[in-house]
Amino acid sequence: MEQHSLTAGRGPDDPPTTSGAGQTHASPARPLGPAELRTATCDLLGRPPLRAEREAWLGKARHELLEQWVGGLEFWENWLEEQLYFFFLIDNFRPESEGVLALPAELAAGKLDVREATQRIALSASFDQRNPGADTFVTVVMEQLAGMTVQKNVRELEIGKAIYDGASGVFLGRTGKRQADIIDIAIRHRAFAQTFVVREYARFFGVEPPRKELAAWTNQLHSAPAEYAALVRDWLLSPEWEARVRARLPMSNRLFARALYVDLLDRLPDADEARRMRSALDGMSDSGPLRSVLARILIDSGAVKLPDKRAITDPRRWIWEQFRVLLGREASEDELNAFVEAFAAPECRPATVLYALVTHPQYQSY
Amino acid sequence: MLTPMIDRRTFLAGAAATTLLAPQLSASAQGRKTQRVVLVAFAGGVRTRETFGSPGNVPNLLGLAKEGVLYKRVKSSNLGHYGASLSLFTGVAEPRGIRENGRGEEPTVFEYVRKSLGLPASDVWIATSGGAQQTNYSYSVNSDYGARFGANTVDGDGLFNAEFKSIVNSLGRPKALDEREAALLARMKAAVGGPDARKALNSPESAAQVERFILEELTGGTADLRGPNAADAKAIRVARNLLVLFKPRLVAIVLQNADIAHTSFNGYVDVVRQNDAALGDLMRAIRADATLRDSTAVIVCPEFGRDRDLNSRRGLDHGDGSEDLEYVTAVAWGPDFARDRVIEEDVQAVDLCPTVCDLLGAGAPRVKASRLPRLFA
Repeated sequence: MEQHSLTAGRGPDDPPTTSGAGQTHASPARPLGPAELRTATCDLLGRPPLRAEREAWLGKARHELLEQWVGGLEFWENWLEEQLYFFFLIDNFRPESEGVLALPAELAAGKLDVREATQRIALSASFDQRNPGADTFVTVVMEQLAGMTVQKNVRELEIGKAIYDGASGVFLGRTGKRQADIIDIAIRHRAFAQTFVVREYARFFGVEPPRKELAAWTNQLHSAPAEYAALVRDWLLSPEWEARVRARLPMSNRLFARALYVDLLDRLPDADEARRMRSALDGMSDSGPLRSVLARILIDSGAVKLPDKRAITDPRRWIWEQFRVLLGREASEDELNAFVEAFAAPECRPATVLYALVTHPQYQSY
Repeated sequence: MLTPMIDRRTFLAGAAATTLLAPQLSASAQGRKTQRVVLVAFAGGVRTRETFGSPGNVPNLLGLAKEGVLYKRVKSSNLGHYGASLSLFTGVAEPRGIRENGRGEEPTVFEYVRKSLGLPASDVWIATSGGAQQTNYSYSVNSDYGARFGANTVDGDGLFNAEFKSIVNSLGRPKALDEREAALLARMKAAVGGPDARKALNSPESAAQVERFILEELTGGTADLRGPNAADAKAIRVARNLLVLFKPRLVAIVLQNADIAHTSFNGYVDVVRQNDAALGDLMRAIRADATLRDSTAVIVCPEFGRDRDLNSRRGLDHGDGSEDLEYVTAVAWGPDFARDRVIEEDVQAVDLCPTVCDLLGAGAPRVKASRLPRLFA
């Protein structure tokens, strides 16, 4: 396996005192530092940057990265995974139909918008199986697609259930007479656009959107759902996103599993590896202890290429690099001093340094 | 959270020591014998017809009722599985989305007990079978309670599925650290500053204990359970092992597999029978343990029932508003409870939360429910 950031050699992310690659000209507007690059990659692609991506993008302008990544195939693959998780269409209920699997490619090609893609997910057999029976099905459509509380809209629920069973009725202001109509009506309702914006904004910022902007974005998405990608670009160029980068957000279990493989092995986990790990982590209300177990299992597995301690001729720089790669930030002088001092002890291995960083709670945020 | 790996003997000794040192192990409220509670949400939607209405399905539950108190009319709320089960733990019937993956507003029984009694996270657990959503039962978003008073949640089918075990088998277990390396590691971790976006439920010590438990469970037999109630069986097995190892003050079990009833009535009945058998195993473990048998109370209650009539798929949904759906039967067994007592009057499913709090001597100031009546001998 190819060695990467964990090797003892110099990488592109060398300390600022050296002439770093990718910074041959004056700094561009909103240059990508380790924090911005790591967070943007996690936000857009659901994983941290690979080594080659760090080499390519550190120091470049953020808007260039967004132009290249937002709306691309991997962006939409990540978007689909997030949607499936939101609908709990995971594990045994994960859709395997061609129509759903083709969504990222069709979205990337501009053949579909997010509303049509969501509708296709909701029309899948998996969605039906996940939500069996009229009561459950209509309740989930009302709650997850339209953001409604069914207990406060019992009449709509009863009408929806009747439509599910083949009767005709006016549901959310439109006439329907079969199960698919319930989805179509809910998804074309303005409430869908609003619910969608709230959910997506929270995914990127960790909070609900400001009320005024929410109304504008809802109108925008309701009338032109294909504008979603442009909206994401705007969000990631905003000062609010920069503040969110500084504050850090907790990693989801899915993101953690993918980050661990990318950071330690410079590759994504395959679908099975990712699913097993995410599923196990989802089983804990505090997945921190299990994340530590998994990180150590991976480091100790022999798959992670670590340099021999004697090959690390400049421990300070090597540790400094690990902070940038794994925590997405510069190490402070105090941190560097403490790590370098510990590393000097014969019992401290390169793996021990990795343990300290990837099992630290801070690694579980980005 | 990282500690040297230890063998089972050392682990068990540590667990025993933790038990001995745990605070608040004196008799709970009002001189009662009950020092720990197992609260079983027999969830997934289970009608009385298939439990106490069909005695052959649930011999173990019947045995509990014979030695305890049977509540024949427990009013539940059709809030969806998630909301209804959550209300058992909060004592408040609050609507929640069926697929909502968010925490409730009201504190849970786990938060009440931990906050009132000053218990560590390792003393309060939930073993669930329903995946990511059910981890939300652990704690609420209430600012006076929240993560720092939450329960450790282990989802048997998620954590202990055979596929995950295969990852451990293929990659191997973490290597043991010698004492010196472990100390250096701890020193480096302590030196890392900066923001921490996580709100950790466990203290470092408690997290280390959980880590060891996970490793022990992975190498035990829990991952090998199969069948239509496999997830439920794993949750019950995990709870049994937790009880025996940690002797925690409060363990909740949340079952879910009975929801197969939507598409298969026979499958549903099979799940009910197998879960009863698994509860029988749990009870045998409690009765066989000298510490547990005279100090542990067990309460079992579905979150709601199911429709009166079969649907077009010859299954049972839950949405008709019938008595079958809205009234379930609960049983309570424990050293302080009456024996062979049957309560015919209506009680509420949300009454479980204040009842458990009362048993353990904890306050539950925000519940909108009462303690179960006529429970004590």
